[in-house]
Amino acid sequence: MAPSHPMIEVTDLTTHYGSRKILNTISLTVNKGEIMVIMGGSGSGKSTLLRHLIGLEHPSGGSITLLGQNIARMTEQDMTQFYRKLGVAFQSGALLSSMTVGENIMLPLREHTKLDQKTMEIMVRLKLEVVNLAGFEDLMPSELSGGMLKRAAFARAVIMDPVLLFCDEPSAGLDPVVASALDELILRLREALDMTIVVVTHELESAFRIADRITVLDKGDILTIGSVEEVRASDNKRIQDLLNRNFEEEILNPDEYLARLTGETEEMLSYV
Amino acid sequence: MEHHIREEQGYHIASLTGEIDLETSPQARKILLDTVDHCEKILIDMASVTYLDSSGIATLVEAFQRAKKNGKHMAFIYLSPAVLRVLSLARLDKVFAIHADIESAIHAEP
Amino acid sequence: MQILKAQSMLSPDRPLPRILQKIETLGRVTTKWVDTLGFGASLLYQSIFWICLGGRRKQQVRLEPVISQMVEVGILALPIISLVSVTIGLMLAIQGINALKDFGAQHQVTYGVALSVVREFAPLITGILIAGRSGSAFAARLSTMTINSEIDALRVMGINPVRFLVVPSLVAMMIMVPSLTLWADLLALLGAGLYISTDLGISMATYMAQTVTYLGTDDVLHGLGKSLVFGVLITIIGVVNGSSVTGGAEGVGKVTTRAVVHSILAIILADLLIVFLLTR
Repeated sequence: MAPSHPMIEVTDLTTHYGSRKILNTISLTVNKGEIMVIMGGSGSGKSTLLRHLIGLEHPSGGSITLLGQNIARMTEQDMTQFYRKLGVAFQSGALLSSMTVGENIMLPLREHTKLDQKTMEIMVRLKLEVVNLAGFEDLMPSELSGGMLKRAAFARAVIMDPVLLFCDEPSAGLDPVVASALDELILRLREALDMTIVVVTHELESAFRIADRITVLDKGDILTIGSVEEVRASDNKRIQDLLNRNFEEEILNPDEYLARLTGETEEMLSYV
Repeated sequence: MEHHIREEQGYHIASLTGEIDLETSPQARKILLDTVDHCEKILIDMASVTYLDSSGIATLVEAFQRAKKNGKHMAFIYLSPAVLRVLSLARLDKVFAIHADIESAIHAEP
Repeated sequence: MQILKAQSMLSPDRPLPRILQKIETLGRVTTKWVDTLGFGASLLYQSIFWICLGGRRKQQVRLEPVISQMVEVGILALPIISLVSVTIGLMLAIQGINALKDFGAQHQVTYGVALSVVREFAPLITGILIAGRSGSAFAARLSTMTINSEIDALRVMGINPVRFLVVPSLVAMMIMVPSLTLWADLLALLGAGLYISTDLGISMATYMAQTVTYLGTDDVLHGLGKSLVFGVLITIIGVVNGSSVTGGAEGVGKVTTRAVVHSILAIILADLLIVFLLTR
């Protein structure tokens, strides 16, 4: 897939939480049709970056250009036109618990289009087929397992055939079989619907399985952006450490560790 | 949505033009369902259809199913590769009656 | 000047003197409260905007959620409102006659009961009951939705959460709380009447006629107006508390309790304020 025109361009993105710097002049691009995986451990800033990319938070500095427009300072009203072309699949599914699966998936259609009820119903069932949840439209979210909820979330995210799909930790908390099925789904969605997909994850296996390119984040900095092979072959020590420890464990610094345990440091534990 | 309907060799041929997407699907739906309701043998000419999204697919599905349930005969002709691809991804290429042109559609009729 | 001096004394090894620490905490708490009030006011403002101008932005408030909220908030509360109202009416009658007997003035009880029920007790008790019932429900619903990222999900679908979640509940409350208060009026007066007619030996018809004479339209409107204010307060407080949740299931419990307590407090203070302003 030759890199064509960029769907997302992040330039010198910086953001703070109070006085703490969470993201430090981040720059990256995502090209049309590619699957970009953003990897990092806890505290790397990857979730914050995702929230910025989908317009839920605004940066302190820098720009985020989505489909040609800078959304870094956009009001909610202006963002509405973007949200029709974006799909977001949240980590916990985030389906509305008061509606059935089908009603959940149909929600964007009801809000943004004037389609007939029958048309919308068929569209919902089409998407349920794609995510392997055929027949589940009348169940309530509480009746679904974790893996099924995530698949339903995907169906909702792609119901309007968006050009850009964002996934937050799609395979987190799933057993390996279900997780790899979800990875397959992501690949299939890109193939079937010509999507550009951004995936935030800390699961190395998934990342290597689906990524065209990987962005490695660590403590608010980008360590590297490259293909799976490039990242694997990197001789940057921080990256190798992160890869070997599989992003789950933090790198142990004995002095820091002791200070944390005895409460002698002001650094807050954070999950960003 | 631009369309026109003509008769040929006992078939009603509805030609659709342009994109069948979130904006235009409701109109396409009305046209197709009207055609199904009033005609016995229908061919949908997709030659000028440039783009088909999920709402377009759903519209075609509904029309095809209604034709089938009412014993009408419906087939799609002159599908472009792009449209054919979209339909095959939805696994409808094996479900819809699809023919290259009018002649093969007429000859294929059981 | 003293505060500036205190700041220059600051260093990691020399924390603020105790008194300044307390003032700092007080300042922080006050700012937080002002912040919360501001958030609540902003929610109310946004809700009114969506009700009036939603159509223009092609994002109408839909009728279906309003109706379902009305059923939830109003219809389903009828049993408890009815029970409590009849009971309150009875109690007022019993206490009233008991107290007035000392003056031989027990026949005045109808006057006292009618006015106190319609102007004060019905709106207040209804408000408190609904605060417990619906205030907690709003906070619980919103807090679980927040934790589950459902609010974020609405936003990224281009759906404004205030329009989608808050407005239907607000409209439903604004219709149902006064309606329930009216119902409470009737039932409380009925309950009182049952005791009064029996104890004083007058007929229900006489009692009802007396009550109608004593009550003016402005008495009833006073009570209903207050109940409208209470309904708005309960909704906004429930939503504000719900959306400020932190920390999972335990957090949900906390904000739910807080919402009820704050609502009841707000209702009573608002009651006092309104009564004071209107009877000067």
